[in-house]
Parts: sequence; C-alpha cells; structure tokens
Amino acid sequence: MTSLTAVGRTRARALRLGIYMGDLWHRREFAWFLAMGNLKARNASTVLGLFWWVLNPLLLGMVYYVVFNFIFSSGRDIAYLLSGMFVFHFSAQSMTGGANSILQNSKLLSNLRFPRLVLPIANLIESTVGFMASLLVLYAIAVPSGSVHSLRYLPLLLIVLPIHVLFNLGLSSFTARLSVPFRDINNITPYVTRLWLYLSPVIWPLAFVEGLSPTGQFMFQLNPLYWIIAAYRSAFFGVDFQMAAIGWSALSAAIIGTIGIGLFIKYENKIVRHL
Amino acid sequence: MSRPAVLADSVSVSFRPYLDRKPTMRRTLATFRHREPHLVDAVKDVSFEVRPGEAFGIIGRNGAGKSTLLRVLAGTIKPDAGKIVINGKTSTLLQLGLGFNPQLSGRRNVYLGALAGGLRKAEIDDLFDGIVEYAELEEAIDRPLKTYSTGMFSRLAFSVGMALHPDILLLDEILSVGDESFRDKSMESMQSLLDRAGTIVFVSHSLASVADFCDRAMWMERGQVREIGASGDVVELYKADVKTEQQSKGKRTG
Repeated sequence: MTSLTAVGRTRARALRLGIYMGDLWHRREFAWFLAMGNLKARNASTVLGLFWWVLNPLLLGMVYYVVFNFIFSSGRDIAYLLSGMFVFHFSAQSMTGGANSILQNSKLLSNLRFPRLVLPIANLIESTVGFMASLLVLYAIAVPSGSVHSLRYLPLLLIVLPIHVLFNLGLSSFTARLSVPFRDINNITPYVTRLWLYLSPVIWPLAFVEGLSPTGQFMFQLNPLYWIIAAYRSAFFGVDFQMAAIGWSALSAAIIGTIGIGLFIKYENKIVRHL
Repeated sequence: MSRPAVLADSVSVSFRPYLDRKPTMRRTLATFRHREPHLVDAVKDVSFEVRPGEAFGIIGRNGAGKSTLLRVLAGTIKPDAGKIVINGKTSTLLQLGLGFNPQLSGRRNVYLGALAGGLRKAEIDDLFDGIVEYAELEEAIDRPLKTYSTGMFSRLAFSVGMALHPDILLLDEILSVGDESFRDKSMESMQSLLDRAGTIVFVSHSLASVADFCDRAMWMERGQVREIGASGDVVELYKADVKTEQQSKGKRTG
C-alpha cells in the first residue's frame, strides 16, 4: 500500500515537472525578448554597452598579466590567462545575474504568473551572448600572439559550451533561489567568486596542480571549473585534451544543474510572498 | 445558473512578518534566536463569487488586504487555506506597463508586455497594428519609452493589457488612464468586455467609480469581508463608517 502511494506521488511529481517544463517552453520567446531587450537597453544606456561584458574580464586579465610578468617576472601567456578569465567570468556573472534577475523583477513576479525559471534563463541568454562576444576578442589576441596551435579541436566547443551553460544555469538558479531569503546575497558573491577564481586554473598553469600530492590534486579537481576550463583550452588552442575533462565537466554540470534548478522550482511558489 | 467566473471559498493568506518580509541575512540570524511565532493575516476567511459579465469592486482602507487578494486571484500568491476557482483566462492590469523597459522603443515594449502577459510572438505580430492604433501612438511607437509622457505610457500599457483579450480582467486603480477622450474609450472597451460575458474585478479607492461602474462590491476590513452587495449600498455603508471614524477622531483631538 505504502509503496503504491509512493509510486503515485513520484508519478504526480513527474507529471507536475512535465507541465512546468511545457509552460517554460511555451514562454521561450518571452525569455528571449527579455534577454535581447536587456542587451539592447544596456547598449543604449552606456557608451560601450555590451563591450563592458568583454572589457571587465579583459581588463582583469591584463592586470594579472602585468602583475605576473612585470612584478613577479614569472612569464604568463596572455591568451592562456584571458581564456580562463573569460570562461570564469561567464560563471561568475551567472551567479550575480541569477540573483539580480529575481531581485530586479519583483513587480513582474508579484503581478504575473509564469514559470519563474524564465528570469534566470533570460539572464543566462544575456551572459551567453556576452561570452560569445568575448571569444572573438580572445581570438583577436590569441592568433597574433601565436597561442593557437591548431583549430582541430574547435568543434569541441559544441560540447563544452552547452555543458558550461547548464552548469551556469544551475549556479544562477541557486543564487536566484537564495536571493529571496537573503536579498543582500550580492554583497557576498564577489568574495566567493574571487576565492573561486584563485582556486581555478585561470591565473596559474595546470602544471601547478600536477606537481601536487594525489590528495592535493584531487581537491583541486573537485572544482568543476577545473575541467571545464581545461576542455575549453583544448578547443581554443588545439592542445591535447583528456576525455576525463569532458566526462567530469558533463557530470558536474548535470549534478549542479539538477540541484540548482530543482531547488529553484521547488521554492518558486513562495517567491512572491517573500519578496 | 452559469458557473461563476471567480469563486473564492474561505481564502486565507497569512504572512510571518519576520520571515516573509524582506528577510536579510541579519534578520534571519536574528530569528534563530527569538522565533517570531505570530502570524499576520493579510486575508482571512474570504469567500465571494463573481459571475460572468459582472464588474466586481473591492473597497477598503489601506492594508485591508485588497492587493493581496488580487494577487491570489492572479495566481502569484498561493493561499494558505481555502480554495480559488477561476474559469477563464485572467489578465492583470494590477500595475500598468509590466515587463516594460523604459530604455527600449514603444514597439519593443509592446512585444515585451504582451509576451509577459502570455501571448506568443506570432499572435502579437497580428495584433500589433491594432494595439498601436488603439493607443493612438502611431507617430511615437519607435521612440524610446522613456521619452513618452505619463499619458502616452498609460495608453500603451492599457492597450497592451486589453489586447491580451482576457475573460477576467483584474484592475488596480487605473480607470483614470490618459486624457478625457481616451478615458471614455477605455471605459467603452471594458464595457464591451463585460458585454461579451467577461468579468472585471476592480480594486479602487475612488468610491464614485466603484459605485458607477461595478454591479456589486465587497468591502474588506483587516483582511476580512465586512459587506458584500450592490455596489451603491456597499459604498454608502463604507462612507458612513469612514465618517463616524473621522468624527470620533475629531472628538478626541478637539
């Protein structure tokens, strides 16, 4: 008897999830227009518009380049540095953007009914466009500097990018979920992301981890971005890649994506009460 | 008897003031120490029904729970107790210009607003010219929204809201849209919505417009129903109550 009701409950939950996803799909044009509208509005209201999306990580990368090459005089490849920085910025941006997508749309949320995941998704679309734009800048710098060995692994992007996007959607749904009970969350995220930046292979080379003890290596490799950044670099520069990088990226994206989205959907009926 | 367009059966919504009101990290930590057990009832045991073709007014003082109730009807707040049945497609004009972005052109905002309201892009393509014509904004539609006057903004927002072609329209304080002639036009549209068996639920502080426009009205006080009945009668009762309150206040201060 109990197992029967458990089956019934699971089935009801699956059904609800299916309806939710259907609603979400029905609202895809809304998410797209929101994202494009925000991009356009940003371009209209600041002189450089979308370029800030590219410029922020670019400038930060330049800063680290200066610090390492001129102060510590330990050589860093600018394209290597920037590739990590752009990839990392995409994830960091998803975290702050996810929280903002809820906090800045409270009027919309309290007056209209729609699957709330539309808002973090719209934000993610916006960031994805920014990320793609930053890849053009990356190539504009990497090709002349001779960092691109070959383009044979470029199709890998078609696998890595969707994995990364799913991972980021998990992150942004998670911060969006947290932003409602903790509306001051964006005061904390810059410190979390900064720490995460130092724990990711952005400003230090992969060789650094390879020199560590097996436990140390394992600790660094628990970070999903470790694998995601490694996979991106193979795609960008044509350096050899490990299948493990793809496997672990996909696995961690599936886990973080499911948890983040799941927590968000489970909570979304209460968002308006708590806003 | 046809089935009601809106049916509310002992609907209650309560907020925990500490956890439900703009919680921050500090406040959440504070609630761990001294838990706040009492609940505040924003809406308490409210029952009513609205029939198709009817305009239903909701009046009451500030904080009586009118807006919370409208949000329950709009489906953005789930009631803690009770049941809500809605037969038909609702559209909210609880706030004009939902989903609008002032930086963007009027054209883009028509799409944003209508997509937010649940239409598909292809449907909006078909409705677009009608929306703009109704709002009388053919000249200005490609200008950024932030350059619009308040009247132009309201006209566009109202026009988009009506284009959603709702069966049940939820309105909050916006009968006074635009200038005199547009106001007549918007009243006409709402009348034609009622004529095709649509329903309007209307929250307002303007007692005259509730008495004029609505068939029946409900007076809410501290989250509860005080009176339901013909709009003229309910408005009179409410007016009398406000008057006695003012008189007793006058006595105390004088």
